[in-house]
Amino acid sequence: MNKKVSKKDIAQLLKTWSQQFNVLAPSRDSGVAAMAEWDGKDTSFLDWYRNTVVPPKASFLPPMEAMFRFRKDEEGYQIEPPAKNGQKQLLFGIRPCDARAMAILDMTFEDAYKDPYYLEKRKKAVLVGLGCTNPCESCFCTSMGTSPTDPTNVDLMLIDIGDHFFIEEVTAKGKELIAKTSGLKEATKNDEAEAEKARETAYNKVSRKLDTEGIKDNLLESFDDEDFWEKVAAKCISCGICTLLCPTCYCFDINDELVKGEGTRFRSWDSCGFSLYTKMPMENPRQEKWRRVRQKVCHKYEFYPMAFDVIACTGCGRCIRLCPVNWDITQVIESVPARVKGAK
Amino acid sequence: MTVSDISQRPKFFAQDNVYLPHIVVIEKIIEETPGVRTFHFNFKDKKLAQEFRFESGQFAQYSVFGVGEAPFCISSSPTRPDHLEFAAQRVGRLTNALHRLGVGAELGFRGPYGNSFPLDFLKGKNLVFVGGGIGLAPLRSLIWNVIDNRNKYNKVDIVYGARTPIDLCFQYDLEAWDKDKTVNIVTTVDRGDDAWKGKVGLVPKVLEEAAPSAKDSVAIVCGPPIMIRFTFPVLEKLGFKPAQMLTTLEKRMKCGIGKCGRCNIGNIYVCRDGPVFSYEQIKDFVSSEY
Ligand code: SF4
Ligand code: SF4
Repeated sequence: MNKKVSKKDIAQLLKTWSQQFNVLAPSRDSGVAAMAEWDGKDTSFLDWYRNTVVPPKASFLPPMEAMFRFRKDEEGYQIEPPAKNGQKQLLFGIRPCDARAMAILDMTFEDAYKDPYYLEKRKKAVLVGLGCTNPCESCFCTSMGTSPTDPTNVDLMLIDIGDHFFIEEVTAKGKELIAKTSGLKEATKNDEAEAEKARETAYNKVSRKLDTEGIKDNLLESFDDEDFWEKVAAKCISCGICTLLCPTCYCFDINDELVKGEGTRFRSWDSCGFSLYTKMPMENPRQEKWRRVRQKVCHKYEFYPMAFDVIACTGCGRCIRLCPVNWDITQVIESVPARVKGAK
Repeated sequence: MTVSDISQRPKFFAQDNVYLPHIVVIEKIIEETPGVRTFHFNFKDKKLAQEFRFESGQFAQYSVFGVGEAPFCISSSPTRPDHLEFAAQRVGRLTNALHRLGVGAELGFRGPYGNSFPLDFLKGKNLVFVGGGIGLAPLRSLIWNVIDNRNKYNKVDIVYGARTPIDLCFQYDLEAWDKDKTVNIVTTVDRGDDAWKGKVGLVPKVLEEAAPSAKDSVAIVCGPPIMIRFTFPVLEKLGFKPAQMLTTLEKRMKCGIGKCGRCNIGNIYVCRDGPVFSYEQIKDFVSSEY
């Protein structure tokens, strides 16, 4: 039997979960909406929250993260990995597009050489999804394999049914958590029906559509079309926002910092939008802006499908909402010449 | 194309974490040219020094602690395992710091990473090595490997060039191969000087004159991108098919393991799926990313 929770009881629910998890919830305390440590009382995000500006990848691949410390003593260099903090994160309110993005990121961090920093946090985490009721104009998730109430990539999915949230138990991890959580009410047949109605209403509210049929092959065929890419890149100012804040972008830089003989090697978000990103001392394969914009687009819609059979864009719409010059990925994808018949 | 299978590759993670470096100690430094040095080094951990394995063509990430990390191929041959070598040209912040280090200094080392030259494919073939400048570094690992297993391969031709005579790297190798009757080497410079007795001319041109036969042959090309770009058409003219031409690509890399993104071209990560590629594999992407 599915459960439900009254909206008034969300604070209580999060308090209960806080005993076992480091609960993160949408917050604007830092000035930008992001998943942040829940303060133990505030649930006002239930009113303002559409999606965070900073994607939830930040909880697993932080903007800056220490990889190890190093120090030199009489014996030579000593390397100290960071202490595992053992904390389990519970992300409350993750949107379906961003949950799908996490599944897409997993492919890269799980692939070949496993990334210990990302996977350590990811494996222990619980994702509690919150279905959208008020999609943005820039959202186009329903064209990208997910939807405002899609439970596929979360452990639990909450759906707004008026004064309650209907709780969908998705994974074993989610079921186990619910079984251990007291004070939840049984959902009725009527609640189920309300949830179904909410799913449909939300789905229909996503007005932006994108046709991605044949995009992989057509991009491959357009790879050398310099004029096309020049046009696509014309207004881009290489600020990097559409990559840094994209929930599926994972590129990072690695650097050393030395303070009074104590060294730290850390990694930090980086972007293919920056020309320094690929710069080598003698040459730079992506000196020109159009090559970098091509990389952003092709990595998502061509290379990722080639490697993992999935488009690395979930239609979250951030790059559209946040771009200072109104560059729009859906317009770009629609403008790719249909060069291949019956393309995939 | 899918993501490369790395299960068969040698792996030596420090403290079980692919990002943590091992400590290695510089044992010898050779001044190759005014800007290029070869570093001989060994693991500080004696047991690891015994167990470590790699294959010709593979690279590693080297740290100068406090400055950062950079990738260099392992330029020594796995057939001569008593120490390891890499060569670095002084061009950026990290290589400048590297060139300030002396014998006994410690570096960080992660690796080996990447694929390697396909020895099974090369077996029994005529091998044509084409190198320019410091591009001889990955080739010499393979050349010594071939010489140490000489009966497994057929004819060996080497065409190597640099800008001027003092820019020729690994002169001790060039001399050794010149004396070796089982290999045939042509050395050339773009501009000679009074003492220079060898050939003068760009590598692709000298290769065209040497005209090695494409029959049962594989060409392995390594050098500055401009040299590679002009060498492939010459090889095609000589009858080499794209699958008979191998090269190693060089890109900016940070992680070395197919995550950080910067060495991505097309659906390949140079670090994970390369650095060794056939021209066949990369011709669609490389032509327009260089
Ligand atoms: S490319 Fe844009 S719309 Fe797609 S996932 Fe990234 S930020 Fe969202
Ligand atoms: S893209 Fe879809 S799932 Fe994401 S915030 Fe918008 S409506 Fe919700």
